Amino acid sequence: MKIFIVIPFRNEEKHIGLVVKGVMKYKLPVVLVDDGSTDNSESKIKDVRPPNLTLLTHKINLGKGAAMKTGADYAISSGADAIIFMDGDNQHHPDDILKFIKPLESGKFDAVFGARNFNYGVPLIRFLGNKFASFILTMFFGIYISDALCGYKALTKKAYEKVRWETTGYGVETEIIARMGKAKLKFLEVPVRAIYHDKTKGVTILDAVGIMGEIIKWRFTI
Amino acid sequence: MIIGLQIIALIFAFSMIYFVMLHYKRGEIGRSEIFSWVIMWAVAIVVIIFPELLRTFASTFLVTRVFDLMVIAGFILVISLVTSSYIRTKKLEKKLEEMVRHEALKKAKK
Repeated sequence: MKIFIVIPFRNEEKHIGLVVKGVMKYKLPVVLVDDGSTDNSESKIKDVRPPNLTLLTHKINLGKGAAMKTGADYAISSGADAIIFMDGDNQHHPDDILKFIKPLESGKFDAVFGARNFNYGVPLIRFLGNKFASFILTMFFGIYISDALCGYKALTKKAYEKVRWETTGYGVETEIIARMGKAKLKFLEVPVRAIYHDKTKGVTILDAVGIMGEIIKWRFTI
Repeated sequence: MIIGLQIIALIFAFSMIYFVMLHYKRGEIGRSEIFSWVIMWAVAIVVIIFPELLRTFASTFLVTRVFDLMVIAGFILVISLVTSSYIRTKKLEKKLEEMVRHEALKKAKK
């Protein structure tokens, strides 16, 4: 099974080199998507000089959803059978990749979702927001994912083709779950570790309000 | 006799005509667009000066006061403009996204 790793990032000069180094040892093809960075992220990647790496660059910032879609489209057109998505801010532990590979290769699941444990340092507000999102998604789409907003996940080619999203921003994680619920795809949740380096980045309360609005919209449009 | 509210409305309408002309001179809007905007504001000026012209319309739609009719018409106009502007922005966003993503895929660096 040909598995690609897709990592969207923006202005991650402090972390992107470490992320790339961390995933290199698995010798999987890596697709990095620079979503309009204005810092030296690209030179940090070049410093690492990884093999099997492709860098795609959005000239302007479109959002996480658009960056993930660009990376996934590239992976699929390059022959990927499955894609593992990771965040570019080094919050996901590269060694957890193995937890995704085994269920994907078993052929029993269409998707594998990472679930952060509260004991691994998820801030309380994010934990509560996640639980609320999970609750709403279960009510609207009949699918329960314990960590709805976790960016560490894997999709098979079949699943990607069924859930290919429209959202360009942070709502991508919840849209994937909503479409999974509608398509009734098989999935597994695996525990993953998360480290928060920068509390000012990622989903803000305003983003969360927007995501809730989008979930209601998808209830009637998906 | 023209009252204070009418004067404010007239100043606003003339200012809007000035801004429309300005955008036309800068080449930001076309001839058909300036024509329709100027016509719209000219009609508004006539209605502001002679509100009684709308009396017949007001009674047809069972609206007691001419002022109420103007407020309702204003709301309808604003809502339709906001809606069309929202749809145009969404279309532009979509086109921009497709262009940026297409460019990124075309220029993949290995």
